[in-house]
Amino acid sequence: MAYFMGIDIGSVTTKAAIIRDGELIVSHVMPSGANYRIAAQRVLEEILAKAGLSLSDITYTIATGYGASSVDFAGERVTDISCCARGVHHLFPSVRTVIDIGGQASKVIRVNEEGRATNFVVSERCAAGSGRFLQIIARVLQVDMKDIGPLSLKSKNPITYTTGCAVFGESEAISRVAEGTPKEDIVAGVHNAIAAKVSNLTDRVGLEEDCALTGGGALDVGLVKRVEEKLRVHLLVPPEPQTTAAFGAALLAEERAPTLA
Amino acid sequence: MYFAGVDIGSTMTKVVILDEVVLASVIGPTGAEHRRLANKVMEEALERANISFDELSYIVATGYGRINVPFADKQITEITCHAKGVATLFPTVRIAIDIGGQDAKGIKISNGKVIDFVMNDKCAAGTGRFLEVIADTLGLKLEEMGELSLKSKTKVKISSTCTVFAEQEVVSRIAEGVQIEDILAGLHDAIASRVYRMAEKLKIEPDVVLTGGVAKNVGVVKAMEQYVGFPILVPEEPLLTGAIGAAILGKELTLKALESGKPIERGARRLEEATFFK
Repeated sequence: MAYFMGIDIGSVTTKAAIIRDGELIVSHVMPSGANYRIAAQRVLEEILAKAGLSLSDITYTIATGYGASSVDFAGERVTDISCCARGVHHLFPSVRTVIDIGGQASKVIRVNEEGRATNFVVSERCAAGSGRFLQIIARVLQVDMKDIGPLSLKSKNPITYTTGCAVFGESEAISRVAEGTPKEDIVAGVHNAIAAKVSNLTDRVGLEEDCALTGGGALDVGLVKRVEEKLRVHLLVPPEPQTTAAFGAALLAEERAPTLA
Repeated sequence: MYFAGVDIGSTMTKVVILDEVVLASVIGPTGAEHRRLANKVMEEALERANISFDELSYIVATGYGRINVPFADKQITEITCHAKGVATLFPTVRIAIDIGGQDAKGIKISNGKVIDFVMNDKCAAGTGRFLEVIADTLGLKLEEMGELSLKSKTKVKISSTCTVFAEQEVVSRIAEGVQIEDILAGLHDAIASRVYRMAEKLKIEPDVVLTGGVAKNVGVVKAMEQYVGFPILVPEEPLLTGAIGAAILGKELTLKALESGKPIERGARRLEEATFFK
């Protein structure tokens, strides 16, 4: 019985997936923390325990993500762009554009019929285009991240942030709270702001349907709705959007595993 | 005749009263979004100059909060006022760079007049806000950062532009045991580099004058000097150039009107809180 594993060490969360015969067996998500080497060891222990397997059961492992170089037990490293494209392609073969909204970066990836990335653009230099902006505003509003999406859907008058900066946005949110603006409008404003940044990215590489949304941002129904409205497309969302790249890494591990004599 | 300039910045409000020379200057907090305390700062300046409000011949308001100042006779943009103030203090100025609490501006000046300008008010990086966030993280006072950074022997490179990500980087460096002064030197370099890249579009030439609250940070001044390649001039009180310029522009308008025999148009002049929303 051959198992293959993908490990994705992101700047905020670490993800792992184990597959057999191209199908997901088990996945795991945990915070990355400050030390990626420790994160890699911990995610390995936790996913193996979850699957009831030992490392010797895993035929081949591919590491990806920001901290990929800290995964000592991986056979090779592949970019998160390729892994994300591969994972989405397996779940939704019709997808030609993947939008990934992560904790600290947003990406748009163009994918061909074979599931290969043909073009991509990454925004990682500004917190306002990433999940980080939402986290900052959620803290101001004292709303749990998991409640942000449903709250945002209630908004009828999303506020417009005057700058594209998360730091200035935080001050604006604080003033709005003082003025008595409903929380849902403040949150929906953040969703619109992130959607606008994503739209700038899709303008640069083009947008071809079908489209998928992955990353932690895809867990937020409010964000999904605002991005759909801004881009005027329907977004396909995987059942586990955070582990898409880890799953893709596992699929690539299965394809690329050195043949054993 | 007395003239006043009121510069309502995002963080601080500055008032200058002058006739032939500056008689009084006061710097106070701007106050919250809908209660701007410019009137309090004005009252204090009047007291220090030992004149009454009605003795002011003309009052010019400038800065981000200049709209709806109920006691001003006229509003003039901060670019024009800064240029005027800097050119008055330093007649040789060619480039004025102002780094305020929430924005940064570069102004190209020729014979005391604005010929071009660049501005960033969209992103906290390269503004005083960047330093404020970091000072908070490090538990330092803003005014001690400059001197402390000068002790650095090995500056740490801060690779993030974004204030949010830079803050995170600082936390990691501290956890690694890096000296605070080395981190500060890196941060001052980061802000200087950001502002320099913006101002560069104006073709930088001497003299360069640095103003705004951030000009009080000697670490940023030194870092800016590294980028421009020559010494930079800093006014004795770098927060006041906008207000000085505003007062002088008011004086010029008044003298011109008197000369041509035209009446001076004044505002309603209620010495009340300045509002932001009308």
